[in-house]
Amino acid sequence: MTQTAAFFRVEGTLTERSALAAAAWLASNAQGLGERFARLGNVALAAPLRMVGELQTGATATRMTWMGLRGMSEDRLVLLCEEYFEKYVRDEVLEVGAELVKQAKKQGRRVVLISDNVDLIIGPLAEQLGADDVVCNRLELRKHKATGRLEDPVIGGNVAGQWARAFASENGIDLADSWAYGASAADSLLLSAIGQPCVVNPDRQLRRLARDHDWPVVEK
Amino acid sequence: MKNGHNGHNGHNGQGGHGPDGRDGISVKSTGVRPLRARGVREAFAGKHLFVTGVTGFLGKVWLGMLLDHVEEVGRVTVVIRPKKGEDARARFERIVERNPAFRPLRAKHGAGLRALVAKKVNVVEARLTAPLCGFSCEEARALMSDVDAVVHFAGLTDFEPDPQQALDANVHGARHAADLAALTPSKRYVHVSTTYVAGMRSGPVEESLVRGVSPTGVRFDPEEELATIERELAACETKKQRLDLAMARARALGWPNVYTYSKALSEHLLEDRRDIHTTTFRPAIVECARSYPFPGWNEGINTSGPLVWLLSTAFQRLPAKKTLTFDIVPVDTVARSMMVTVAAALRDEAEPIYQCASGDLNPLHFERAADLTSIALRRLTQKREDASWWEKNVVARLDTQCLDYIDDEQILGYRRLREAARATRNFLKDFELARVVPAALYEKVDGEKLEAELRSFSMKCRTTDRRLGTVDEMLRQFRPFIWDHDYTFRTANLQRASERLDDEERALFGFDVPEICWRRYWVEVQVPGLDTWCLPVLRGEKVHEDPPMAVELAEPASAEVPSADGFRTKKSDLPADPRRMRATA
Repeated sequence: MTQTAAFFRVEGTLTERSALAAAAWLASNAQGLGERFARLGNVALAAPLRMVGELQTGATATRMTWMGLRGMSEDRLVLLCEEYFEKYVRDEVLEVGAELVKQAKKQGRRVVLISDNVDLIIGPLAEQLGADDVVCNRLELRKHKATGRLEDPVIGGNVAGQWARAFASENGIDLADSWAYGASAADSLLLSAIGQPCVVNPDRQLRRLARDHDWPVVEK
Repeated sequence: MKNGHNGHNGHNGQGGHGPDGRDGISVKSTGVRPLRARGVREAFAGKHLFVTGVTGFLGKVWLGMLLDHVEEVGRVTVVIRPKKGEDARARFERIVERNPAFRPLRAKHGAGLRALVAKKVNVVEARLTAPLCGFSCEEARALMSDVDAVVHFAGLTDFEPDPQQALDANVHGARHAADLAALTPSKRYVHVSTTYVAGMRSGPVEESLVRGVSPTGVRFDPEEELATIERELAACETKKQRLDLAMARARALGWPNVYTYSKALSEHLLEDRRDIHTTTFRPAIVECARSYPFPGWNEGINTSGPLVWLLSTAFQRLPAKKTLTFDIVPVDTVARSMMVTVAAALRDEAEPIYQCASGDLNPLHFERAADLTSIALRRLTQKREDASWWEKNVVARLDTQCLDYIDDEQILGYRRLREAARATRNFLKDFELARVVPAALYEKVDGEKLEAELRSFSMKCRTTDRRLGTVDEMLRQFRPFIWDHDYTFRTANLQRASERLDDEERALFGFDVPEICWRRYWVEVQVPGLDTWCLPVLRGEKVHEDPPMAVELAEPASAEVPSADGFRTKKSDLPADPRRMRATA
């Protein structure tokens, strides 16, 4: 039996904070003072790549974003992510996004959160919103320390339509009748692969794209 | 492609290290075939126990647990010495009615607790340091005639107390309690010692004792050793002389401090006795409760308290070996294990020695403990309403790191800082500005005000000097346990005894060390518990008892994680005496 889903790109539709902000915050809370500066510098290297745009860089910018956490302990990462969620995510979920999630659940759609942030932060958000699935990154750990790499598959800023089709066939989802919510130009690939795209608080590029394709636009 | 709903399994919030949440460590099988379940309650049913040291941290939790979970116990005679004008009975009643360790019992029985205690507990006033604990032969015989086991918790747990006091409490006290055990029909004697009798060596420590052989392999006669050290101590005039002498003797034999030396000496002496059946119980570092009487409960100054206090200051260097095991055991785990041990003794099938430690099955290393402590302290500071912006955002975020090596001069720069502070203080102490500057200039620069500021700075130098001295002393006392020696205390006997419990009793009394998630325990239980119950004592503040019972009954105490509020009075920046390092309580 097929069902319909609602895909939410977390960054932009549910939170204003990017994965870069989360990585930078984690890096700035490393154990040693010198270590904090070195890690922050490492995370900062990803910023220009992200500015170029995820459509151009694929998952490279995402990989670079999390490289700065290499060597941080699992304990520290778990606890800091809890703290980050409490401080910057839990009470700062965008109202418009939360409302759309609520509606999707009411309509019986399977709510799927997509994010290039890590599971330690997005997992609790999914729980808070009652999402059914989370598609996000996982930090690779070896001997209880982060290796600086992400586990495969890496979810970049852009999620391709190919992925959406694979996910749909794996989970018996009717893409034609499903919804997708995105906020930046990088989400256009996802939006165009789903039957009912919708843009939320779009950036300039996505707004133009939405106008061209006649996609509905929701503003807060 | 799906990467993850529930995708945070690998490092979920509940877990420690690894997917099982227990640091990837599984419970070792002891390889023993399952035997018939041996009930703790069955063993205690109708028995009469004679218990010393119930006013201590561990003794209280154990007694509370016994009265709470083992209603079948016949009678418990507790030995208490009078203190500060309070007789033994009044002291015990006060503990039962107001000490937080008895909160679950108070919540369960309410006003009926007094009746329960009157029915089950017999309080006797005695001094363990006196022969037969101060009883006459007839009194002792009458008292012990129907006792089924003597359980000896009492001891002096300071690392470096007056050596004669340590010997009186830990050696003579144990012998006197054993003398009483010898008067009982069954001669059962359960002796609480410490795993650190292992002394100055590293590696696995088995649950055994080779009588008359010290940790460094030196042969000695325990009786002769005791007589010699006491004779020499008697010739000393000051406490410092006694301490130097005892420390030298302890180190020569392979024990790092007076506490472990005196505890070990008592174990060796008890080993000689053929008139009693001794079961020795050795806990490692006893710390905050996981769940009983409530999460976080601790009392007084214990082993990790001073270290956590140190990490809560701007001191960012902990000279501890990263890979060294910090062998912490929650007090309720120790009390459960003690219950199993006493039950085995009551059935006359106890092993000679039971060790209760975490390093064997679920080790916590110093690197991890320091990391977790920093984060836990930061969380506490950020929750504190009276913390300034500076404290919340700067001081709280200075995390402590373990040093890879000890180089006192280079790494522990505080010594040089201390010298500088002392020199500045000495210079400013007698400094008079009016003497060195011309009167006109003195008037012009408002010399009096300047002198007042210099005096204030001089006082700050003195405080810094004292505080750094405390740190120096603290690290010296802790060095054997955080740098020099790495132990793995074997716990096979407890594991085996725990396996023989049925499911219901295993949930209550089983050896639950493998279940400890250090991340959750350290951040949510241990450090907040120390912050509430231990650090205030170190800072010279008073930790209040619970309200009197009548009030409590109207509003039963909550069995929640202790909050860091409400229990403090006087504030002082300087620790009262963090040098009073203690081991188990």
